[in-house]
Amino acid sequence: MTVLAGIGFTAPWVLLGLLTLPILWLILRAVPPAPIRRLFPAVTLLLGLKDDESVSDRTPWWLLLLRMLAAAAIIIGLAGPVLNPARDEAGSGPLLLVLDASWAGATRWSATLDQIDAQLTEAGRAGRPVSILRLTDTETPVFQAAEAWRGRLPGLTPMPWQPTEAQIDNTLAALDAVDGGFDTHWFSDRLSYAGHDRLLSALQSRGAVTVYRSPAAVVAVAPASYQDGAIQLTAVRAEPGGAETVTVLAQGRDPAGAMRVLHTTEIQFENGSNTAQIELALPSELRARITRFEIQGQRSAGAVTLTDDSLRRREVALIAGTLNREGLELLSPLHYLTQVLIPTADFVEGGLLEVLPANPDVIVLADVATLSDTEQVGLTEWVEQGGLLLRFAGPRMAASDLGRDAEDTLLPVRLRSGGRSVGGAMSWGEAKGLAPFPEGSPFFGLQIPEDVTVTTQVMAQPDPNLADRAIASLSDGTPLVTRKALGLGQVVLFHVTADAEWSSLPLSGLFVEMLDRLAVASAAKSRQVEQLQGTTWEPIQILDGFGTLSDAGNLPGVDGVALVSGQVGPDLRPGLYESGKQKLALNVLAEDAVLTPVVWPTDIPIKGQEVSTETPVGGILLSLALVLLTVDVIASLALSGRLGLARAAAMALGAMLLVPQAQAQTPEETEFALNSTQELVLAHVLTGDAQVDDIALAGMRGLVQTLYYRTSVEPAEPVGVDLERDELAFFPLLYWPITPDQPQPSAEAYAKLNAYLRSGGMILFDTRDANIAGFGTASANGRKLQQLAGPLNIPSLEPIPRDHVLTRTFYLLQDFPGRYGGTEVWVESAPLDAEQIEGMPFRNLNDNVTPVVIGGNDWAGAWAVDRNGQALLPVGRGYAGERQRELAHRFGVNLVMHVLTGNYKSDQVHVPALLDRLGQ
Amino acid sequence: MNAALTLRERSEAEASRLPPLLARAEHLAGTVLLGDHGRRRSGLGDDFWQYRPAQIGDSRRMIDHRRSARGDQQFVREREWQIAQSVLLWVDQGASMRFASDKALPTKADRARLLGLATAILLVRGGERVGLTDTTLPPRRGNAQIIRLAQAWSQDAPTDYTPPEHRAMIPHARAVFISDFLGPLDEVELALTKAADRGVRGVLLQVLDPGEEAFPFRGRTIFESVGGTVRHETLKAGELRERYLDRLARRKDALTQLCRATGWQLGLHHTEDSAQTALLWLYRALDGGVQ
Repeated sequence: MTVLAGIGFTAPWVLLGLLTLPILWLILRAVPPAPIRRLFPAVTLLLGLKDDESVSDRTPWWLLLLRMLAAAAIIIGLAGPVLNPARDEAGSGPLLLVLDASWAGATRWSATLDQIDAQLTEAGRAGRPVSILRLTDTETPVFQAAEAWRGRLPGLTPMPWQPTEAQIDNTLAALDAVDGGFDTHWFSDRLSYAGHDRLLSALQSRGAVTVYRSPAAVVAVAPASYQDGAIQLTAVRAEPGGAETVTVLAQGRDPAGAMRVLHTTEIQFENGSNTAQIELALPSELRARITRFEIQGQRSAGAVTLTDDSLRRREVALIAGTLNREGLELLSPLHYLTQVLIPTADFVEGGLLEVLPANPDVIVLADVATLSDTEQVGLTEWVEQGGLLLRFAGPRMAASDLGRDAEDTLLPVRLRSGGRSVGGAMSWGEAKGLAPFPEGSPFFGLQIPEDVTVTTQVMAQPDPNLADRAIASLSDGTPLVTRKALGLGQVVLFHVTADAEWSSLPLSGLFVEMLDRLAVASAAKSRQVEQLQGTTWEPIQILDGFGTLSDAGNLPGVDGVALVSGQVGPDLRPGLYESGKQKLALNVLAEDAVLTPVVWPTDIPIKGQEVSTETPVGGILLSLALVLLTVDVIASLALSGRLGLARAAAMALGAMLLVPQAQAQTPEETEFALNSTQELVLAHVLTGDAQVDDIALAGMRGLVQTLYYRTSVEPAEPVGVDLERDELAFFPLLYWPITPDQPQPSAEAYAKLNAYLRSGGMILFDTRDANIAGFGTASANGRKLQQLAGPLNIPSLEPIPRDHVLTRTFYLLQDFPGRYGGTEVWVESAPLDAEQIEGMPFRNLNDNVTPVVIGGNDWAGAWAVDRNGQALLPVGRGYAGERQRELAHRFGVNLVMHVLTGNYKSDQVHVPALLDRLGQ
Repeated sequence: MNAALTLRERSEAEASRLPPLLARAEHLAGTVLLGDHGRRRSGLGDDFWQYRPAQIGDSRRMIDHRRSARGDQQFVREREWQIAQSVLLWVDQGASMRFASDKALPTKADRARLLGLATAILLVRGGERVGLTDTTLPPRRGNAQIIRLAQAWSQDAPTDYTPPEHRAMIPHARAVFISDFLGPLDEVELALTKAADRGVRGVLLQVLDPGEEAFPFRGRTIFESVGGTVRHETLKAGELRERYLDRLARRKDALTQLCRATGWQLGLHHTEDSAQTALLWLYRALDGGVQ
C-alpha cells in the first residue's frame, strides 16, 4: 500500500488517470449536447436558415465541473483510498497472544477481539505464525498461520472467573513444551491473580512481551446480603480513583413473569476508596422477586450478582390448636417456632381459611387435629400446588382419631392411638435421643447435640412405606419426623410438640437447622460450612463471562462445602445451584472479595486498546460519483429543455433517496379525536365488566335515539371511554356505572378527570343498586363509589332541590327514575345565599352546570335499547313501568340539555321581568 | 387479424369521428344563425320583395296587374333574390395540419375542419350550395351534403403539405380555403390566380398554432415536419427565433399581397382562440363578398 498524505492507496497507479481530466474537459466542451427532435410544421420556413456559429450551445462550465468531479471521484475511488492505513510494525518470528479472558475484560471484549483481529491481520501480512492462549481456559499453544486463527476468533469468549493457580501451572507446563522463542502480546484485563508474576517471567524468558491493557476500569458487585431489614449491596473497583457513581439495576420477574428492572439504585464511590456500599430497603414482595443485581453499562459476570433464597423471606402461617391466652405466651405451642422464624420469615396472621388465599409458603399446624371439610379441601389443594404443610403433634392429635384407620391426606403416616411416653416419672426407660440422620434425609449431615431428648411422641403405624417417609428417627428407631410428597408440595409431621413439653428438640439449635433444611426458615445466615456438610448441589443455571445466565446442561453436582469455600473456576462455575427445595447462588465474587490491579514491571511496554481501523473510502467516492452523475443527468435534461422529464426523474430520485421518516401521530388517537369531535358524542366509562359496559353503551344509544327523535340535539353513536387511555375533553357527559370490582383509575387518569370536571364536563355516577345504602358503605357499589370519587374534585352536594334547573331544562320533572325510582339524586348544592325572588317560581341558582350527578337508579338499564330500538331490560310492570321508562328518558333528555345549555333555562325565569321592562 | 375485421374497425372509428364533428359544427353554426344573414336584395326567388315602378326594358309580363290596377302607374313586382350561390370549400388535409403544440390545444386540422363544416352548415341553412374544390363533391344543398363533407374531411392526406385544390373551380362561385399555408407559396398563388381568372372570389383562412407564432425553442434541435419529409437541424434554436418570425411575417405579407391582387380576403386564426370568432369572421367575409 502506498501512503500519500496520510491516505493509503491500494492501486496508486490508477491515480495517473487524473491526468486525463484536462483532456476530458476539452472534449466535453467541444461535444454539443444531443439534439432534441421536435415536430414542427413550420419547418419549411426554417429551411435554409444557417446557424450563426458552427459551435453549438456550449455545455455550461458548472456542468462540466460536475462531470469533472464525477470523473475524478471515480478515478480516486478506483485507486482504493484507505483512511488510517495501518503502518507496518517491526516484528518477526512466532507471536503468542496471551489473553486473560476473564470476566473483568468481558465488557470490552469486542474491542479486544477487534484488536486481536488487527494483530492477526498484521501478523498474517508479515507471515508470522501465531498462537492464542486463553489463561482461563488453558490449551497447549499451537503456532498456526494467522488466517487460521481468524476463523476461530468468534469462539474465543471470556470466562466468568480469574485464571486459577492450577490453570497458571498448566499454562507454564504447556509453554515449556513449546520450542524456540516467541514474542508475546498480552491482553490484560487489569486484574492481578496468583501466579501472574511467574507467568510473566516465563514469557519474558522466551521473547519480548508487550502488554495491551483494556482502558476501562474494572467495577464489580459483591453478593448481596440481607441484614437488619435491608439488602446490603457492595460495589468493588480495582483502582481507587476519584469519586464515581455506578448504577445498579435490580432485576427480576414482574407478576406477569417477564424479566424487568424492578429497582434502580446508585452506588457512590468515595474519592480514593475501593468499595462502596448501599443499603436497599425494599418491600418484601419486591425483594422476593429480585433475581439478580447488575451494574448498568457493564457486561461482565463480575458486574452481576445473583440472589437466592437468602434475600427471600418466606411467608409462614402459624396455626395452633389452642388459642393463645393472654399471659401464657411462653406456654403457647407456637412460641419456639415464632422465635425461630422471626429473623427469617414473615408471618401471615389469621385463621386457616383466611391465610389460604394469601398463599403462604409454609403453613404450620401445631397440634391441630380436626379440620373442617372446607379447610381440608383448601389445604390439600394448597399443598398440591407446592405448599409445605408442617404439622406438629400434641395432646389433641394424640387423643384424636386422626389418621388412625386410614392414612389421612394431610398426614404422612398413619398414627397409633394414644402415643407413647418414655423416660417420664411414670414410665420405664430413659428419654430417647436422636439417631444419626440417614443418608437421603434432608437433615443428613447435621450434628446432633447430646442433650436433645424426646419424652413423648405420637407413634406411626408400621406401614410398608414408613421407612421411606421417616426422615429422622429416635435412637430406638421410631420415626420422629416423617414426610410425604403430595402433589407438588409436601406434608411434614414432627411427632412431637412444637413446644418443649414433649421433647427438648425445640430448645436446641438443631431445631433451627432442621427447619432450615426443610426450607421453612430459609435464611440469610445459613451459608455456613457445617450446615452444608453432606449436601450435594446441582447446578441449574450458570453464568458466562458476560454475565448471561444459561442452562447448566448436564454439569455434575457440587459438594456443599466446596460451594461455600471453593474458588470459582472451571470446576466450580458461578451460577444457581439447587438442592431439594433450596436454592443457592454462587457468584463470581466472594462477599469479601478485593480486586487487585496488576502492576507491570517498568520494562514492559503497555499499549492501550485503541485501534485505528482502516477505513476504505473508495466505495464512498464511487457513490459520490454516482450521485454527481445523477445530478448531471437531471441538469443536462433541464438544460436541453426536457424539463418535464427532468422533473419526473428528480421526483423519482427524491423518492428513492428520501426514506419517509415522519412518524404519523398515533393514528388511533387522531381517529378517536376526529370521531369524537365531528359530532356530539355521549360517552360512558368502561368498567371492565363486559355486561355492565354493554348495558351502558346500549343505554347511551337509547338516550341518543330519544334525543334524536325529540330534540334538536342529534348526537352520534356513543362510545365507551377508557379513563387511562382516552382523552375526555371531547365529551360533554360521561355516564359512569359503578361496579364493585372495577379498577381504581391511576393518578394520571384522576388528573384528567379533575381537569374534565373543572372545564365543564359532567359525570353521571350510577351505583345501579337503587341507592339501598343511601350512598353509605353498606353496599358494595356504594363503597366503590366512595373509593372512586375520593380523589375527585367534587363540590358539596345536595339532593336535587325542587327548583333545580334539571327539573325543567326540557321536560318538567319532579322525579328522576331509572329502572329504580323514588330515590334521591344528588347534585352540586346551591349557594347558601340563593334565595327566592319575590314573584319568581324559582330561586336564582348556581351559574354552573353541576359537575356530578350521583344516583343509583340504573338509568342506563332503563334507556338501553338493542339495535332495533327495542328496550333491552324490563322496567316495572305494565303501563306504570312504561311510564317510568318514559320518565327515565325524560330525565336523560333534561340531563343532556342541562349539560349543553347550562343555566339557560334558569335564565328564562327572568323573562317576565325583561318583558316588563321592554314594555316601558 | 383479417382484412374484413380491420376494415370494420376502421369504419367504426371513422363513423365515431363523424357525429361529434357534425354536432360541434351544428352547434357552432347555431350561434351565428340568428344574425343578419338575409340577401335583402331583389332577384329570382319565391318571396315578395318590393313593388317598383316599371321601367323601360321591363317586359310586359313582369307588370303586376293587381298592384298597377290601383292607380295609373305600372308596377313591377320584384321577388327577393333567392338564387343559390355555390360556395366551394377547401380544407387542408395535409399532415402539417395535424399538429398541436400543446395537449390542451386542438390540432390545426381539427379546428380547420370544424370551421369549414360550420361554414358549410351556415351556408346550407342560408340556402347556398356547398361543395369541394376538387372533383369529388360538386356543390349541392341539403343536409346530406353536410354529411358528405364531413365524410370527406374525416380522411387525412398522407402528404405533408397539400397544395390548394383548384381543379373543379366553378366560374363565379365563392370559395373558402382553410389551411396553414406553410407549404409552397407558388401553389397557393397558382390556385388563387386560377380562381381569379374564373371570377371566383373568396376567403383564405390561415390557421396557425400558437407554437408556430411564438417559436419557444432553445438548444440543439432537429425540427421535423409532421409527415417526416422535411427536417432542419440547428445547433442553437434560440438564435433562429428572430429570423423565423421574420420569415413568418413575410409569408403572411405574401399572402396578403396575393389576396389583394386577386380580390380575396385573408383571415388569420390561432387554434388557441375561440372557433366562434373565426366562424363569425368567415361568415361576414363571405356575406360581405356575396353581392
